[in-house]
Amino acid sequence: MVPALEFDEVTKQYNRWYRPQRVTALDGLTLTVEPGEIFGFLGPNGAGKTTAIHLAMGFMRPTAGRGLMLGKPFGDRKTRRRIGFLAENVALYYRPAEELVRFYGALNDVPGPCLKLRVRKVLEALGLVEYARRNAGKFSRGLLQRVGLAQALINDPELVVLDEPTSALDPVARVTVRELLTNMRNLGKTVFVSSHLLSEVELISDRVAVLNRGRLVRVGKTSELLASDEKLEITVRGIRPDVFPGGQALNGVVKFRIGSQQQRAALEQVWQLGGEVLSVNPVRRSLEQVFLELTAPAPAGAERISHR
Amino acid sequence: MRQVRLIAVNFVREQRWPILVLMLWVGVLSIMGVVVDVRRSGEDVLLIFKQVAAYGVAFAVFFGASAIHNERKTRRILSVLSKGVGREQYVAGLLCGITFAVSLYALAVAMTGTWILEPAGFPVRHLWFLMLCLLIASILAAAVAVLFSTFLNPLFATLSAILVLGMPAAAAAELDAKWADLIPVYALLELLMKASFSQKWTARWDLVLLGFFESGLCWVAASWVFSRRDIAVAID
Ligand SMILES: Nc1ncnc2c1ncn2[C@@H]1O[C@H](COP(=O)(O)OP(=O)(O)OP(=O)(O)O)[C@@H](O)[C@H]1O
Ligand SMILES: [Mg+2]
Repeated sequence: MVPALEFDEVTKQYNRWYRPQRVTALDGLTLTVEPGEIFGFLGPNGAGKTTAIHLAMGFMRPTAGRGLMLGKPFGDRKTRRRIGFLAENVALYYRPAEELVRFYGALNDVPGPCLKLRVRKVLEALGLVEYARRNAGKFSRGLLQRVGLAQALINDPELVVLDEPTSALDPVARVTVRELLTNMRNLGKTVFVSSHLLSEVELISDRVAVLNRGRLVRVGKTSELLASDEKLEITVRGIRPDVFPGGQALNGVVKFRIGSQQQRAALEQVWQLGGEVLSVNPVRRSLEQVFLELTAPAPAGAERISHR
Repeated sequence: MRQVRLIAVNFVREQRWPILVLMLWVGVLSIMGVVVDVRRSGEDVLLIFKQVAAYGVAFAVFFGASAIHNERKTRRILSVLSKGVGREQYVAGLLCGITFAVSLYALAVAMTGTWILEPAGFPVRHLWFLMLCLLIASILAAAVAVLFSTFLNPLFATLSAILVLGMPAAAAAELDAKWADLIPVYALLELLMKASFSQKWTARWDLVLLGFFESGLCWVAASWVFSRRDIAVAID
């Protein structure tokens, strides 16, 4: 199957002819997003997420490297008809929400009769029915973001590219969007989402990539990233809690953590003492912990602003 | 085609206030028609009429030089170009929107002109041909301005457009009158500005066709440049 998105050594430098400095926003990004997955795109402020997304959408051209979206080069007009996009700070025209969504649907060549139905559907899905006739120019940030999502979904896209889609949403709307995105995945569609809301990404994404200072620092299955191979949590019955350092007893069950190298020795010790092993689990870290480790400040000298 | 139409309508809708201001001039013209006795001061009225008509070109340059910039500055261009819209369609949409606005103006001016000037003996066919010249001059001026606005900010785009549109006039004055036809905005406006009651007129269809053709060329060039531009970067 054709990957939904493919970055191949993509580099983007922002430079201006009258300024001696150039900013390398993206530095040799190579990344493949498979069809049918929810892909979390993470990174601290200024990491280059928006830059990568804009390159994929064809708003900009890479300084070096190339990329494919649904098998076609970035910026292909026909391909864009099959995708949905929500910008980071969504800016829309000042007119009734329903009219806006219809406008964007028509731009994407959704045929007339189908369009009316789709508009109703997405407005319903995003809880915008009561706001349909109100001017989006007077919407709160969260409502605007919902209209932005509605226009991204109007063409029933195969791939959605969302730049911080839930940053302004209230908790209820966040749950709604989360469900919407998992539903899309269940229908075989691809979701590429950049976000700072790590707990949310942790909940829905199949894979994540972490970007730092324009470079890809980690990509992998969310579950694998969260499992730490260094530590294990062992649950046993029938031994005293002070046998292992840090052991805790609760309802006759003892839990303790050990390094993975000591697993065998620890288990044998439990059996020798006549204990019973109930479970051995890798300690799960939160995505936040992983993120903080991966994006810890780089040592001096890793500055990205270069002079010509 | 659907995309071009949508973008054109959207442009007109977004620019409705400037367009309304433009139409106010037609209102001023018609007031003059009521107040002044055209039969006695025909040439004076014609002079004012010609000046008001020529504002259409200024507005076209203004619209052309700022359209892309406005959309980029407000970031609204991103949601539009994230759809199945080509850059050439986008530029075509803007040009069609501007064309619609100036057509509306030229039509209103032509109707007012017919009402005011016909009783004083100005040939109606001449008047409507002049309005066609105005329209074509405006479209070409807008197309040149749009072309510059794909890589310059509105101020520089406006200045460059004025320079380029004025160059044939300078060349005509210095070298040979034929040079005026090169980029015929000036030549078309000259037809309008030199019109008088006593003049024997001929329709310069060559200039009209050339203006139309060059507008198309500008569209091609503007699309080519614009499709190579990063639209998401900060603008200056
Ligand atoms: N138009 C521009 N001109 C110059 N530098 C830019 C421009 N746009 C972005 N940058 C720089 O490129 C880098 C990456 O920016 P980008 O917007 O891609 O980050 P991001 O990961 O989306 O950040 P955030 O999480 O804050 O949205 C930053 O250092 C930023 O300052
Ligand atoms: Mg960003």
